[in-house]
Amino acid sequence: MKSKITISRQSLYILVLSVFLLLFVFIFAFGFLIPEGKEYRLKRVELKKENLELKKYEDFRDRVLEQFNELKSENKHIISAFDRSFDPKRFVKVHKSHFSSLTLEKSVQVEDEGKFSVYEVNTSSHIGSPTSFYDFLDAVNKSDWIVGVNFPIHFKREGEMIRSSFTIKVYGVSKDSNSTTSSTLQE
Amino acid sequence: MKYSYIKPRKKSLFTPEMQLVAVFFGITLFMLLSTYLFLLYKDYRFSQDKIDIINAREETIEEIKLIESKILFIQDQEALSESIFTKNTVLKDSMTNMFDLVPQRITLSEAQLLEDGLILYGITPSKDVYNFMLQAPLRSIFHRTYSSFYPAENGWLRFMSTNFVDKEEETIPVVQEDETNDEDEEEEVEYEE
Repeated sequence: MKSKITISRQSLYILVLSVFLLLFVFIFAFGFLIPEGKEYRLKRVELKKENLELKKYEDFRDRVLEQFNELKSENKHIISAFDRSFDPKRFVKVHKSHFSSLTLEKSVQVEDEGKFSVYEVNTSSHIGSPTSFYDFLDAVNKSDWIVGVNFPIHFKREGEMIRSSFTIKVYGVSKDSNSTTSSTLQE
Repeated sequence: MKYSYIKPRKKSLFTPEMQLVAVFFGITLFMLLSTYLFLLYKDYRFSQDKIDIINAREETIEEIKLIESKILFIQDQEALSESIFTKNTVLKDSMTNMFDLVPQRITLSEAQLLEDGLILYGITPSKDVYNFMLQAPLRSIFHRTYSSFYPAENGWLRFMSTNFVDKEEETIPVVQEDETNDEDEEEEVEYEE
């Protein structure tokens, strides 16, 4: 007796379609989706690493910036003194109280000291006693400019007064150097 | 000729079973494609984010370098100003000590402070007063001391004292009363009118 398996045409269509779609799903999943998923995971890990590294750099930058701001506020007077251009009239006005008379000659730029420009100014003055000169040396350290009193210093008695002549060196930020202080003050 | 009493229904490929299968696979395919597109989009975003992070990192490194150079510059300024202020203070102390060194019996008329020496002009009642009260302390401070005398109008002696510190030892003549130096050198010249 012969058993006859009868599959309707409709069922056959469904079967073929199912097989075809199933194959497509498998090929798509293994051929595209899974490799892309792997790449996604790798890139995510990599990005996390990069983020961590960036965070480290940013933290370090913040620490350096904090140090810089502290240093800047601690040395505010020095920074502004280096940046300020020398004004002989103002210098005489500020320090005249230590002398009976104070005259400044024209400033001459001498050789730069590294990043700093140096101006030399010859001065002549009259003082009542050496104490006035000591007071001047104290005051010059707190003045608006970075000023160093240089040798030779000459004192000569003239009646009741002492005539003194000496050279001062005024230090400023050299134009050639990176004018850091200027930018820092602007920030 | 009719073989059936009912109207023949139109046969379609999209039977309910086929529709069910199509819907099922449709949903599956939609999910797969949407997942794939999502992954593609995320990959693209990650690449972009990575580029942004690398740029931000480079900017941060540049910023760090700039801040560090600024710190160095301020430190240079601080060091230079400190050395200048110290020099001024040392100069003041040296001068205080120098003027304290001169006894009341000797009157100075002129003083020249040089980088490596000191020249004094003045008047002394006698050579002995000068030698014991001024020259002795000067000799203990300076390496080379030269003195010359010539008579003044009132019978006293005018003197000129030239004192030097050897450069390899010290550049600034820090005058300190307590200092002593065994390698003193003395030369005395007397001018007679």
